[in-house]
Amino acid sequence: MATVGISNPKSRLRLLLLEEHGIGEDPTVWEMDYDGGALPGDPRHTPEKLHKWLTSKKICPCEPRKMAETDLARKMEELSRSNRELEQFAYVASHDLREPLRMVATYTQLLAERYRGKLDRNADQYMEYATDGALRMQALIQDLLELSRVGREGGKKQSIDCDAVLEEVLRDMSSSIRDSGAIIQHEKLPAVTADRCYLLQLFQNLIGNAIKFRAKAPLEISVAAEAEGKYWRFTISDNGIGIAPDCQENIFTVFQRLHARTEYPGNGIGLAICKKIVEQYGGKIWVDSKPGTGSQFKFTLPAGQPCEQGAS
Amino acid sequence: MQGAPEILVVDDNPADAVLVRESLAETSHQSHIYSVTDATEALAYLRRQRKYQMTARPDLVILDLNLVHRDGHKFLTVIKSDSGLRQIPVVVFSSSESLSDITRSYLLGANCYVSKPADLKRYFSAVRAIEEFWFGYASLPKKENDERSSCARIAD
Repeated sequence: MATVGISNPKSRLRLLLLEEHGIGEDPTVWEMDYDGGALPGDPRHTPEKLHKWLTSKKICPCEPRKMAETDLARKMEELSRSNRELEQFAYVASHDLREPLRMVATYTQLLAERYRGKLDRNADQYMEYATDGALRMQALIQDLLELSRVGREGGKKQSIDCDAVLEEVLRDMSSSIRDSGAIIQHEKLPAVTADRCYLLQLFQNLIGNAIKFRAKAPLEISVAAEAEGKYWRFTISDNGIGIAPDCQENIFTVFQRLHARTEYPGNGIGLAICKKIVEQYGGKIWVDSKPGTGSQFKFTLPAGQPCEQGAS
Repeated sequence: MQGAPEILVVDDNPADAVLVRESLAETSHQSHIYSVTDATEALAYLRRQRKYQMTARPDLVILDLNLVHRDGHKFLTVIKSDSGLRQIPVVVFSSSESLSDITRSYLLGANCYVSKPADLKRYFSAVRAIEEFWFGYASLPKKENDERSSCARIAD
């Protein structure tokens, strides 16, 4: 006795013939472009009858593996289509949304500038709210674009010396490091396979966070790396305010903020960008933290070529 | 520079033209600003056709790329391949910060590319800086309608 399964994804019709006795264990799959015409009615046709019907319709059987392959190809196609749509969305956000928003922002600013103190006190307040909202939305869109850029522009895969990257980040951030009184220590860091710009951003975001969320005690930050198979595991430790255990996973989600904007500025995009960068190279990022004690941000990246010393 | 500078603003958004006007309202150059909202109108203005027969040729064009049908680039191509117009400096003033827009503009002969700042103060200072550079520092070619006076100067 054979069972016939019929599936009809979009206009492609598949007839699955499961032969339960004798002939073989693999199901035979029949595939055809379905034109809406008559089907062999009773799904419990005998294989012979079904075969006859299919042959009369000039339909050929196809291997189950081949069907899996076409399935896979179709899913890949669907994935790349949805990726293209996302890219398109980023483009729309960058060009078409920003333009009208710029108008709102500049004209509320112009209104506030020209008419501050000339209307009543409420009006001044309202204009301030409107300007503030527009400027914040601009910042959010800018951040979203930043996030969408990671990956879309396909980061390079080069062997990059993290020591040099960290030195550059520390140089760029020297004024905020000085202002916060932070003491930053680091071991000799290895080379990883990634994009230099992304690495700069990664270290800058993590060290920037350590500085931003510092406690009252003098801030100490240390950066270290340990080999973990073909990866390096980096640890950036601080003695800052720390993160409550139930929030530790959320912090890598876009626009997730744990504090009021007035307490700590920012849109909550930094760690989401870090996550996207690290994951692009098959790495992971997570945090070990205790409120009031400090945080250890850890991430893994594939090892690069060891630094050539004295090589010509 | 003889007389007040003439600036043609080509921007499909009248609100942007107003901002340019506001930016330059109180500067010492007292530029005359004329604005049009599409490429066809801008070409008629530059070629002094139709209602623009009596207008002065501008000393500077401030061009937004994002015109109707996105034809800012096309407009740039047309004026930069027109021997009568290509000497007029064109500053592309666009909200796009994309490298491809910037590169393409320069390839097509734009004299300068400035992204429109999102913040009002920076917007004002960008427009004022454009004006100050072109009319305070840069030397410009003579205009067609100035020809007689410059000939007279050469004869001196």
